[in-house]
Amino acid sequence: MYKWIITLLTLLFLIGCDSKPKEVLNVYNWSEYMPEDVIEQFEKETGIKVYYSTYDSNEAMYAKVKLLESGGYYDIVVPSAYFIDRLRKEQLLHKLDHNKLKNWKNLDPLFLNKEHDPNNSYSIPYLWGTSGIAVNTQRIKDPITKWQDLWNPKFKNKVLLLNDVRDTFAMTLTLLGYSINTKDEQHIKEAYEKLKELKNNVRVFNSESPKQPFINQEVEIGMIYNGEAVMAQRENNNIKYIYPQEGVILWVDNLAILKNAKNLQNAYKFVDFLLRPEIAKRICEEIGYASPNKEAKQLLEEKIRNNTAIYPSKEIIEKATIPTDIGDTIRIYQKYWEKLKSEN
Amino acid sequence: MTPSKANWLKKASITTISLWLAIFVFIPTLLVIATSFLRVGENNFVIFSFTLDNYQKILDPVFFHVFFASCYLALITTFVCLLIGYPFAYLLTQFSPNIRRILLLLVIIPFWTSSLIRIYAIKILLLQIERSLRFFYPDVSILYTEMAVLIGLIYTMLPFMILPLFSTMEKLDRRLIEAAQDLGATPRQTFMRIILPLTIPGIIAGSMLVFLPVLGLFYVTDLLGGAKNIVIGNLIKNQFLVARNWPFASAASVFVIILMAMLIFVYIKSINRFGGSRHEKVQ
Repeated sequence: MYKWIITLLTLLFLIGCDSKPKEVLNVYNWSEYMPEDVIEQFEKETGIKVYYSTYDSNEAMYAKVKLLESGGYYDIVVPSAYFIDRLRKEQLLHKLDHNKLKNWKNLDPLFLNKEHDPNNSYSIPYLWGTSGIAVNTQRIKDPITKWQDLWNPKFKNKVLLLNDVRDTFAMTLTLLGYSINTKDEQHIKEAYEKLKELKNNVRVFNSESPKQPFINQEVEIGMIYNGEAVMAQRENNNIKYIYPQEGVILWVDNLAILKNAKNLQNAYKFVDFLLRPEIAKRICEEIGYASPNKEAKQLLEEKIRNNTAIYPSKEIIEKATIPTDIGDTIRIYQKYWEKLKSEN
Repeated sequence: MTPSKANWLKKASITTISLWLAIFVFIPTLLVIATSFLRVGENNFVIFSFTLDNYQKILDPVFFHVFFASCYLALITTFVCLLIGYPFAYLLTQFSPNIRRILLLLVIIPFWTSSLIRIYAIKILLLQIERSLRFFYPDVSILYTEMAVLIGLIYTMLPFMILPLFSTMEKLDRRLIEAAQDLGATPRQTFMRIILPLTIPGIIAGSMLVFLPVLGLFYVTDLLGGAKNIVIGNLIKNQFLVARNWPFASAASVFVIILMAMLIFVYIKSINRFGGSRHEKVQ
């Protein structure tokens, strides 16, 4: 019996060793951020084996990429805009040759050539979304139109804030009329003072799954990512997503090829594959966030395409700001964030 | 098994464990200590130049606030665990060995499920309790309060208090208690002068096993406290990842390590004092 098992295991091991393909690609992406069948299709079409690993925060990804810089362990990463900015400035990214991407034309110019990566020399927008206000209209009858509404004393112990220092400060800075990428300590301090006034209203900080407290009716109003709001809406039709007047925060996650990538040509093939309208459409449908691929948008069901929580109007996008890298100033933000949380 | 073979096995297992500890505990700790004396760089995690600034930053009011808030949570948790765990462990020893085994098993069974999942379960439970209470008191809130955090911490840590207490109480020589009663000691005197002093090693071991991990149990404050407060574990994690200040995060870790070492030192001292003398008497 044992001999049988051992023989079987040895055989399996040998098969495992033998099938090591010549053409590979190492992708490092957010968890649950790419449908498996998309990867399978790419493998089938090209014969390139994709090794896919995941992370759950930009910071964790950055630390790993930076420490393993010379090894060339990863070919493709998917950082948010402000980390593209940082990686680019630290010369960790490969300068793109746009001629190699024949599907580049499918991208909506609205998302190209932004401050975090002029001319998109280093990054390709993958998915995008906004941070706005979610409100349970069954519980809250007052019209909610702006960030300042969160400060209403009526909402004591009813507000959710994102548990992310950049997101929450960006919201407060927008409200105060400052840039969300300010490096001026005075502005950050003012935002901290403002947030301190809000602390009485805050019931919970959550950025892993902000939809959950809304679905459980633990909170009635608060900050949320649009994709999460759409999912909450499916559970409870009274939850509405609102674009605050002061301006929304736009985030874009981008594909980028690392400078030390060992499989450069395969990386280009993969990016170009993801830029195909039908592939981008499938990703958008499955992951639930908006695609910057304008051809893919046309293929989407009308219900999704016209859902303003997913695809806001052009005016809102143009007015929205994208967080960029703030360098060491993050430590000042973090200081005030810890102060905010540790003081009662 | 021949003696030489047993000897070989012994050597092999000791070598494996030593290597394991050296690679995964000793060297990383040394790296953390080394990092705590370095400077933080703009484009690098550390710059190789010696400094004591990071330790000076520990005196920063924000850090101290977080540190004391964590200690406060840990102290209350330890105290309540002791208050519940002590009589519980004592009662356990009163049962027959068979029942005792079953009861001990019941204490241990929750460990078979990840504590994170159990905290999620408590979260749902507290939410339901809160909802039911709101019929009578519309403004009551339980979830995302300090009380919820304490409930979660005490629930998670209680077995760590019960088990060492039980093991010292099980070894307690019953003849000493009988002798005390024969000599006319009241129950109170028996407890204060016989049982309590003899179980002090268990109390200290249990308290340490509860106090120290609480300082790092960040997911309990995150999930049940709504992340409104931070414990030292959150602070260290955020300084490493978000603020990218590895030297300061390392200094904070070293500070906690030193604190733990001091507590363990006190523990060993107290074992020598209480535990040692007991052994002499018994043997």
